[in-house]
Amino acid sequence: MVKKRVPDWLNSSLWSSPQPQPPPQSSDAVESRDPPARAADKSAVVESIVEPRVPVPPPPVTRPVEPPSSSVHSGSTSVKGENSDLLSCHNGSNYGNNNNHNYNSEEDNGSSSTNSTTASTAAVGANAFAVSVPAASSLAVDISSQDQLLQELSRKFINMGELRRIASQGIPDGDGVRATLLLGYLPPDRALWPSELAKKRSQYKHFKEELLMNPSDITRKMEKSNLENNKPDGEDKGFLSRSEITHGEHPLSLVKSSIWNQFFQETEIIEQIERDVKRTHPDMHFFSGDSAFAESNQEALKNILIVFAKLNPGIRYVQGMNEILAPLFYVLKNDPNEENAVSAEADTFFCFVELLSGFRDNFVKQLDNSVVGIRATITRLSQLLKEHDKELWRHLEITTKVRS
Amino acid sequence: MGSSGQGQSNFDLSFKILLIGDSGVGKSSLLVSFISNAVDDLAPTIGVDFKIKLFTVGGKKLKLTIWDTAGQERFRTLTSSYYRGAQGIVLVYDVTRRDTFTNLSDVWAKEVELYSTNQDCIKMLVGNKVDRESERVVSREEGISLAKEFGCLYLECSARTRENVERCFEELALKIMEVPSLLEEGSTVGKRNILKQKQEQHTPPAGSCCS
Repeated sequence: MVKKRVPDWLNSSLWSSPQPQPPPQSSDAVESRDPPARAADKSAVVESIVEPRVPVPPPPVTRPVEPPSSSVHSGSTSVKGENSDLLSCHNGSNYGNNNNHNYNSEEDNGSSSTNSTTASTAAVGANAFAVSVPAASSLAVDISSQDQLLQELSRKFINMGELRRIASQGIPDGDGVRATLLLGYLPPDRALWPSELAKKRSQYKHFKEELLMNPSDITRKMEKSNLENNKPDGEDKGFLSRSEITHGEHPLSLVKSSIWNQFFQETEIIEQIERDVKRTHPDMHFFSGDSAFAESNQEALKNILIVFAKLNPGIRYVQGMNEILAPLFYVLKNDPNEENAVSAEADTFFCFVELLSGFRDNFVKQLDNSVVGIRATITRLSQLLKEHDKELWRHLEITTKVRS
Repeated sequence: MGSSGQGQSNFDLSFKILLIGDSGVGKSSLLVSFISNAVDDLAPTIGVDFKIKLFTVGGKKLKLTIWDTAGQERFRTLTSSYYRGAQGIVLVYDVTRRDTFTNLSDVWAKEVELYSTNQDCIKMLVGNKVDRESERVVSREEGISLAKEFGCLYLECSARTRENVERCFEELALKIMEVPSLLEEGSTVGKRNILKQKQEQHTPPAGSCCS
């Protein structure tokens, strides 16, 4: 019965490696991306695989599923191994400074480098969303996967490959830790969690203070810093040449890059975000209505989207991001741990960034006609559809000419 | 003749209608209001969506395929291909937001000119949200004069109260049927369908009208 839950296409060669790999292989992949300092933990990781996963033997129903599921996962895990490095390095480089050039579309290097990992991150993203969807399986399976999950989560050093393998079957509702882990926001080493969370949460607070500021505060602050360091900016490509035009910084300035002009442009995007946040999941009390609770949740979504838009001028805000963000926030805000629930906005922001980093090229207009842009993605989708359901493909592409 | 009219191939003419306009003006609400009488709040449209409505106008059974597009600028590269072959285009604005009105001439009319493949295609200007009369900033007169300038139909409506919603699509359909080339396009699609229907009817023994 469990077998039914894994659709045939999931077992296609696209997702799994042709030769099913035993679990230790995937742990190697996880290990290989770890810094050498963590090699000492290898024994712990290997041990976690050798020892029985569940103290109580799981019900026999789950047994037949084991081989295919681990083969599916060893494939995606090893890809994710390469991916995580990219994600973490993006994180470091992009959020270290507020003038964030890397996400801007004008710099193709940054965008195209992530392309090869797009599919795998999307798969990881899908796993994370499985968190919010209660597993529609039999009770027996729920219990065994719950046990496995709890056991994995209670380890000092979490084996991400194993966690993803368990999560790929869908896991019951619970705290947000699973989502944050699966998205790569929390490191596998539990000991690092408190410091990592504190660091990220204060970083987000800082973003909010910096980015949700109004123009007069910015100009005032800029004048101050200009007096302090009067260095010429040599490498600017005409983009973000803010510091040299103090004279143009007033509300009626015609200078395009003027802070005030940017402010008015941003107002447009902020209004768009506000409109969309108000109509995100209009059927759920959590998000919509006049209650103070719904309003504070809307405020959080709005802040996250505005901060993201400002940090990523090449992407800004695209309709549909609200739909990706909402379930993440919902899960983290409903964390039974009060401390986590209070910081849901900050945590959601970073998870959102991690999730989007896998397919952000699709959002960039300048990349529309490139191989990494949205058109190419749609073409790939169409090809996949043609391969797997030719009849539907023919109906959409030929009979009704949905696309030109 | 005795059928309920819900049979999907039971129509005389088939037209393609496109809804465009700024984000949040109520394109999807207008469509849902027309199709299902519902007036719920809706989530923003991502990309494109379409719905089919069968209804009778001027004694003809029509099948309208109505394409609903996302209003945000980012989606224009994707939505532009949906103008192709449309017999009717509805340009929607929000009477409580002036920018959505000025964007009709600044943006949307230009898009139509660029991407519409149909020279004779009927355009219609629709000012939505007239139920919020106290917040109105674009007058009816302004709407009418812009419609004259574009040479298109004009109507004010409210997706929420359903005021003028049916009329909007009815007038558009009637106007389309007045244009011989458009009528022709609509019936060729219809004819092809009738032909298919006939072939199907030949195979099973007569008697069942609804299958």
